[in-house]
Amino acid sequence: MRIFTRLGQPVRHLFFAVLALLMAFPFYWMVTSALKTNDEIWRSPPTLWPEVPLWGNFAAAWNEAPFARYMGNSIFVATAIVVLQIINSGMMAYALTHMKFRLKGVFAGVILFGYMVPATAVYLPGYLVLSELHLLNSYGGLILSNCVSVFAIFLVRQAFLQVSHELVEAGEVDGASHMRILWTVLVPVTRSSFAVLALITFIEQYNNYFWPMLITKDPALQLVSAGLRSFFVEGGAYGLKWPLIMAASSFTIAPLLLVFLLAQKTIMQSVNMTAGSSKG
Amino acid sequence: MTRSKVINGLKPVLFTLPAMIPFILFWLAPLLYVLYLSLTEWDFMSPDKTFVGLQNYADLFSNPAFYKALRVTVLFCAGSVLPVISIGLGLALLMNGKLGGSALYQALLFSPWVTPTVAVSIVWSWIYEPDVGLANTVLNSLGLESIGWLQDPKWALIGVLLVTIWKSVGWAMIFYLVALRNVPSDLLEAGELDGASALQKFFRITLPLISPTTLFLFVVQIIQALQAYDQINVLTQGGPSGSTRTLLYLYYQSAFESFQIGEASAVAVVLVFICMLLSVFSLGVSKRTTHYQ
Repeated sequence: MRIFTRLGQPVRHLFFAVLALLMAFPFYWMVTSALKTNDEIWRSPPTLWPEVPLWGNFAAAWNEAPFARYMGNSIFVATAIVVLQIINSGMMAYALTHMKFRLKGVFAGVILFGYMVPATAVYLPGYLVLSELHLLNSYGGLILSNCVSVFAIFLVRQAFLQVSHELVEAGEVDGASHMRILWTVLVPVTRSSFAVLALITFIEQYNNYFWPMLITKDPALQLVSAGLRSFFVEGGAYGLKWPLIMAASSFTIAPLLLVFLLAQKTIMQSVNMTAGSSKG
Repeated sequence: MTRSKVINGLKPVLFTLPAMIPFILFWLAPLLYVLYLSLTEWDFMSPDKTFVGLQNYADLFSNPAFYKALRVTVLFCAGSVLPVISIGLGLALLMNGKLGGSALYQALLFSPWVTPTVAVSIVWSWIYEPDVGLANTVLNSLGLESIGWLQDPKWALIGVLLVTIWKSVGWAMIFYLVALRNVPSDLLEAGELDGASALQKFFRITLPLISPTTLFLFVVQIIQALQAYDQINVLTQGGPSGSTRTLLYLYYQSAFESFQIGEASAVAVVLVFICMLLSVFSLGVSKRTTHYQ
């Protein structure tokens, strides 16, 4: 758009610099609030930088609730889900793109249908199903109930569609099994899709709150969002522990910002792929 | 059939099972189950479910709380989706073209999307704190009066919406940046030769060409808005006086707080129905009007 570029670089730089700072400001506010004393955090007008930064608040918050456990749970569950999703969406997408079978149309239709159903709306019966399977309050329940993703299947299917049939046929002529072709030919060629899938799924699952909170009542199984939320409520959302709550929020967010920093390119690329896979 | 033929015929099915079994257990079966539950009366505890036909739907459609939640849901959808899409597009247009350092801007604008909604909502609830919170401090310094961001029924939904918009706007911008980059420059140049103004080029060339992205963002954002829970749960819990209670929140409360399973299931079915209607609608629209390259 010429109208905008005509504004000139300096104006646009100024605009984006200010906007980006504004957008990031809540994170700054979180960290600096975490360093304040109770008195200082309740002072008006607020101080932009704490008079005496209390780095010990982080340790205090970390020890006040089992955050190591919560974060460990989240990372473990999210990683397990990533691995399972890579396996089952890889196999499903392989069957849908490179195999012939009678039920193919039905399966593809069922999956497309699943794309339209909001997961949150079926939480109640999902809860009952898990309880029938005796999977409530278990890592198994947390992992298995999230181990299939319609989005992941679409994403991988889209990637496999772009791989030429000849590559697969060459493998078949060589006498390689389907499993071998899938994991040693197709997956390496489409690895960027799998990287995107792994990252997006990890972020999503680490951040997951509603469903894990519903199906686990045992505090030892709580994921980090639910743990943080109960710390927020117990620590007196209305009481005096705001600096500790801000400290806890900081270290909950930190791993994700780190992942984002390291894998920024892949995550941004994922945007392109998500849009592509949704076009079916 | 010989044994090996049977095995060969079974192979594709075996490949689909790792995905299909959990899919059926955790998506399809619950979907049918919720349909059945919506036709019963049940309190979660007693062993028997009473079949009541369409009574739950009749109750729901004559309940003012349902219409209030429906209204909040529509407001929440419109109030989050339209700003996210239009601001996202505006920012992408501004950033499109050469701008040094734009990777850094993109990262900063995008970062809220990566972070857990619960954690950032907690931060925002501190910003919204009525007496010493940053939001009111800024208002006061501009000579404006304080607002009960999450306590005043008039403002609570706006408070929740601001967090929701803040979280997604950078995400939408990235989508549009990708789409804008794919608009062929020779088309724009041809328009220029024909004497089209910048606005004409935008409305006649750019906007139609990026319409698949707009449609995609529209559908995804609406479905996300219909499912919004985390930020409402942390910031307002549906209050004050129901001003932020969406259909999904109503469903959650009647299912897991007041244990009216039948009625809750009816709400869930209505939600599923809305989502499917939207998806089918968007599929239809995308076939008719959008321009794929």
